[in-house]
Amino acid sequence: MADVITTPRERHKPPAPPRTGRVAGLLAEFDSPEALKDAARKVREAGYTRWDAHAPYPVHGIDAAVGIRQTRLPWVVMGFGTLGCVTGLWLQWWTNATSYAQYPGVSTFLQGYDLIVSGKPFWSLPANIPIIFELTVLFAAAAATFGMLLANNLPLFSQPVFHCRRFMRVTTDGYYITIDASDPRFRAAPTADFLLAMHPVAVEQLEEPHTPAATPPVARRTFLFLSLLALIPLGLIAVARNSKSATPRIHPNQDMDNQVKYKAQQALPRFADGRAMRPPVGATPEQPLGLTVARGELYEDDHFYRGIVNGAFVTSFPTHRLEVPLNPALLRRGQERFNIYCAPCHGRDGSGNGIVNLRAVELSGTLGGAWVQAIDLTDDERRGRSHGHLFNSITNGIRTMPPYGDQIPPADRWAIVAYVRALQRSANATPADLPPEVQKEVQAR
Amino acid sequence: MSSDVIRTVDISRERVRIDDLAPRIARPALWAGAAGLAASVLLGLAGAESFFRAYLVNYGFFLALTLGALFFVLIHHATRASWSVAVRRIAEHFTGTLPMLAALSLVFLVPMVLGAPAAIHALYPWTDAAHVAGDPFLRQKTAYLNVPFFVIRLMVYFSVWCGLAQWFYTMSLRQDQSGEGALTLQMQKIAPPALIAYALTVTFAAVDLLMSLAPHWYSTIFGVYFFSGCALAFYCTLAITMYLLQGAGRLTGAITVEHYHDVGKFAFGFVVFWAYIAYSQYMLMWYANLPEETAWYHVRQQPPWLWFSLLLLFGHFMASFLVLISRLPKRRPPVLVAGAAWVLAMCWFDVFWLVLPHAEQNGVHGPPVAAKLHALDVLQCLTTLLGVGGLYVWRVVSRMGRTALLPQRDPRLEDSLAFENY
Repeated sequence: MADVITTPRERHKPPAPPRTGRVAGLLAEFDSPEALKDAARKVREAGYTRWDAHAPYPVHGIDAAVGIRQTRLPWVVMGFGTLGCVTGLWLQWWTNATSYAQYPGVSTFLQGYDLIVSGKPFWSLPANIPIIFELTVLFAAAAATFGMLLANNLPLFSQPVFHCRRFMRVTTDGYYITIDASDPRFRAAPTADFLLAMHPVAVEQLEEPHTPAATPPVARRTFLFLSLLALIPLGLIAVARNSKSATPRIHPNQDMDNQVKYKAQQALPRFADGRAMRPPVGATPEQPLGLTVARGELYEDDHFYRGIVNGAFVTSFPTHRLEVPLNPALLRRGQERFNIYCAPCHGRDGSGNGIVNLRAVELSGTLGGAWVQAIDLTDDERRGRSHGHLFNSITNGIRTMPPYGDQIPPADRWAIVAYVRALQRSANATPADLPPEVQKEVQAR
Repeated sequence: MSSDVIRTVDISRERVRIDDLAPRIARPALWAGAAGLAASVLLGLAGAESFFRAYLVNYGFFLALTLGALFFVLIHHATRASWSVAVRRIAEHFTGTLPMLAALSLVFLVPMVLGAPAAIHALYPWTDAAHVAGDPFLRQKTAYLNVPFFVIRLMVYFSVWCGLAQWFYTMSLRQDQSGEGALTLQMQKIAPPALIAYALTVTFAAVDLLMSLAPHWYSTIFGVYFFSGCALAFYCTLAITMYLLQGAGRLTGAITVEHYHDVGKFAFGFVVFWAYIAYSQYMLMWYANLPEETAWYHVRQQPPWLWFSLLLLFGHFMASFLVLISRLPKRRPPVLVAGAAWVLAMCWFDVFWLVLPHAEQNGVHGPPVAAKLHALDVLQCLTTLLGVGGLYVWRVVSRMGRTALLPQRDPRLEDSLAFENY
């Protein structure tokens, strides 16, 4: 049987390809999509199974003519998308909603860490949705791409049709049907006759190419080599996590981290003791703070700094200090500081209903926390306290209230005491406390 | 050429007019609309605020639907689409309701201009001068949120929309007469700048009509959110209208399962787009946790509004997503139309959810609390739905009765008739 059964008029004779002599199949060319579809229908009806139709563009109705079933790939994509969704949920739950060492026996490498982010709950759907969404898309897209390659037996490194000169017109105006020699119904001569009966432009025998269709060994070896290279960073991380090192970490981005100056605890051989930090003058092991005091840091004024004189709380403001003049400006300063530091718990009116207190009471009701109700600063007991007592409570804290001495300078603490007195007065005011003109106005009503 | 290569539809044998049916639908719709509005006004005597809120829900819904139709026409020309030629005239008919919608805006514009009764003040707090004077935030916004400027803006929006709708409709009809291909080119040239004007006006209209109901609150994505509802509502309506027309024996050959499939794809796409935008708006506010932003959502997380929020999450997004994702229902018109009706109802609840929930002052100094949903509100929503919906159907159908339902001499009609999904 001749290789070319009907010779077409070809302007350029192709260079004779190397022959293997093994028949790979038959190629029939048609001149129109309609002829292609008619032929495809006949081939399918004849019972061939390993064959295909080729056209430069998607031909309407070709799927039905060839008998291509609807692909099941969408279900695979759906399955993987769902898997990505669940993976995203699980990943975020595990990494952020489980505590370190919550599950003994799990390698520390794989444990979760409940990190507070912006005060949100550890396990909170709104924050998780972007990750879930991205993983769903990633898994679904990967499933679609690799599923398509797999379902089409790709990558295929050699195809008999691509060694056929005639087939090149498949990207412009050629319509072809190929029947594979591996088809159980394929018999070289009868199949060729069968194709010829459909009046094709030409029928040509396809030859098994020299190059194998399987992945070439060099590609396989390259892939293996690159995969091994990709493991190196993982290996380095594993080594680093399981070893100790005395050398400083690699510091590629300096960010002005290292500067020409000495920091606490650094060494400086210039001094006899080899330390960059200098101890206070006259410091000895018995007197570690030395013999001197910086100006203004002696704090010897008991009245002003502690509110205690001779072991008793003072009952007067430190009038000898210029920082505490009892005037409206001091009260306003006290109001401002009170609203910043005290009002969150004690409330702006000092009655103990600040927003932190309200929320904490609400939480301890449902969650069983231990919160001590902030006290009412305007009750009789607190009104009876001396100025020095209130000052001392602010400075050192009392019961569960923390000390504020480090945060509020002493003059401001006195201003707050003055403002608390004003709050106490206003919470227990009588009509007689009103200014005379207001009293007159009230009586007029 | 064999018969199955290019499906040829003989348009001359196609029934492309509904002038026989139109009066039989339009007249009862007009009566129903008038009755609905009359009932609403009567109920409004029992509670005017309830009337205005319910009216705004249905006005907003039908405006969104119409703007979706205008978007369909514009994007059709801007992208030189051919698949949609067979159904484009339906969209053009829907855009014809814009002048009526402009007139219907007088229901709340007139009281607003005539000194705004308490009900309008409750609806749009920024119309209340006394309230604004005591609210430092609203005082800052008076340069934008004031009645004269509001009315001027609405006039600008409606002139742009009515102008665009009328121009594209006229050109399309002129092509029916002359068959000039140049008209198509002309429409393609105007469509992209028209889309820019459309985007700006729809964004500002959404801010003015719906976002200013809560004048303290602001969301920079609100215009897009409203637009996603517009497009979605129209694609659903289009599927339903196609099905109803075919049920009446019109366009039986011109509209095929391929057109349903494409409309279904767009509906699915916009369901996801809506959810994406709604979530983007929610997530940023949830994360930032600023009181002036979260207050709006806080109201919608209190019962009974919470149930509507959940309805939108599960009904508007999840159920619609699962129904529309597959190829199967999109290629079965009855199933698609059932799904479209469901999504359309969800679009209505979306506008309902934007308008109805609001915070009310609790006592003189108490914190604001979520308003309750009264039986009167529900009843008003139904009567105004009948009212505005009836008038809307009347306008659409009577306009459909006047012209052919197919742009018969559009140069791309053949493409559309032969269109197939791969």
